[in-house]
Amino acid sequence: MDQVNILIIEDDAKIASLLKTHIQKYGYAAYAVEDFGRVMEEFREVQPQLVLIDVNLPMFDGFYWCRQIRALSTCPILFISARESEMDQVMALENGADDYITKPFHYEVVVAKIRSHLRRAYGSYSAKSEERTVEASGLVLYPERFMLTYGGQSVELTQKESVLVEALIKKADRVVSRGRLLDLMWEDRHFIDDNTLNVYITRIRKKLKELGFEDPVETVRGAGYMLRLEGTE
Amino acid sequence: MTMRLFIREQLPLILFYAGQMLLVGLWYWLAVENHAWMVVIYGALLSLVMLALYLAYRYYTHRKLYERLEAPLQTMDQSLTRLGEAPMAEAVSEALRNQFQLYKNELYGTQQRLENHTAFINRWIHQMKTPVSVIQLTLQDLDLEDEITDGLQEEIDRLKKGLEMALYTARLDKFEQDFKVEGMPLLETVEKAVAENRQWFIRKGVYPAIEIPPGLSVISDAKWLAFVLGQVIVNAVNYSQGEGKKVTFRAYRMGPHAVLEINDEGIGIVKEDLGRVFDPYFTGNQGRQYHESTGMGLFLVREVCRKLDHKVEIESEPGKGTTVRFTFTTA
Repeated sequence: MDQVNILIIEDDAKIASLLKTHIQKYGYAAYAVEDFGRVMEEFREVQPQLVLIDVNLPMFDGFYWCRQIRALSTCPILFISARESEMDQVMALENGADDYITKPFHYEVVVAKIRSHLRRAYGSYSAKSEERTVEASGLVLYPERFMLTYGGQSVELTQKESVLVEALIKKADRVVSRGRLLDLMWEDRHFIDDNTLNVYITRIRKKLKELGFEDPVETVRGAGYMLRLEGTE
Repeated sequence: MTMRLFIREQLPLILFYAGQMLLVGLWYWLAVENHAWMVVIYGALLSLVMLALYLAYRYYTHRKLYERLEAPLQTMDQSLTRLGEAPMAEAVSEALRNQFQLYKNELYGTQQRLENHTAFINRWIHQMKTPVSVIQLTLQDLDLEDEITDGLQEEIDRLKKGLEMALYTARLDKFEQDFKVEGMPLLETVEKAVAENRQWFIRKGVYPAIEIPPGLSVISDAKWLAFVLGQVIVNAVNYSQGEGKKVTFRAYRMGPHAVLEINDEGIGIVKEDLGRVFDPYFTGNQGRQYHESTGMGLFLVREVCRKLDHKVEIESEPGKGTTVRFTFTTA
């Protein structure tokens, strides 16, 4: 599979276009349905490997289209809807959907679910199995392997450290707030307090030193941290 | 029993009748020279029998009307029962029936309006979620300075909380069709509710401390309980006094019940207000100083708990903190 097509069936034009641009950044080809009377025609034209669909749509609802698509294809169908009641989620799954995401949502969740469903449906070779990397000024993070490299050298990170480094690299040379970092680390049920965050930052500083940096993580008082890479390379 | 109203109603007639008998008796006594006692008494008795016959007939034909008038209506439908053939009884049944019909029409109209309103609110809330989603996504795309992003994210979270509260308030009317009671582990439920509201903790610099034994399960509805816990958590965090304070979640078994206490180290509630915090729209002194308060949060908490059969109590010491205590049935 050289290209993964994703069909977006969402009647709010803004959300559809935001989703489309974001998904395209990850190397998928995304198409948004424009004529809600011709959903099946567009489906046949695009031949998508995955469908994102809303529940509330003009003319027929998402459940209806989900059944229509199921008659043709077994591709993963993910619902994205503002309706969060269990009833709607059950309806979606019973009409043949594979997952349900409630609005308002974060891109990360949508992209993560897309990746996982593509992997499950088509195997790991699909979905452009090129590894995701985050990079700034020669410092490269491989978030799936928790690996950080710079100038031919590499260090291993823990999962939490990897999350922190990713946030810092993405905003290299700008302040990342403590709140943002705490939020990222609080994904599961265990929370992180200020002291624990300090411990993690200390470990990251040590590992960056191993890569040959002169302490690039700056503490910005009352705000957060900044990864200063300007002038390196 | 039903006689009393009848007698009161007929009392003037009985009095007039007695007066008339006295008058006729007196006239006979004065007008006739050989008057005899027997004749007077005989005449009076005859007249009394006629009166008694009339009263008996009158009572018999109107007894249902008197019954109806003396006993309060138990159900609306009773106003439709016939009250007898007598003209007065028929007129009264007709009047009651009319009133019932008018009342029913009006009630139906009001119900219809209420249902339209609820449907509108539901639709509106879901509609408002779309712009919130667009703002949320645009914010992620913009990649602004964290200071600005965090500030905007806080407002988005407030919008989301507000919409959530509106949605649950609207759903409360249809609660009976919208809940599923099951056993659930208390520790996981609380941890999930805390994680979902983590932004509020982080912004305030307040930390949760969870002391709940792992095996403790309670009977409740997952969605409504999460909503209730969310309301209490946001209150506890908002009223906490400054950074580094804790919100403690403690649970223990008590006979067939499980008790969950959520305790903050906040400004507390003054005694005068404590009895009214569960009233709708009550914000109290503190609430008005802290702009978050709508006065609906704790009211909804109590309503939902009442429907789920959980007990909820509140204790507070001004300046020290507040404890909200739930009592559940263990699973």
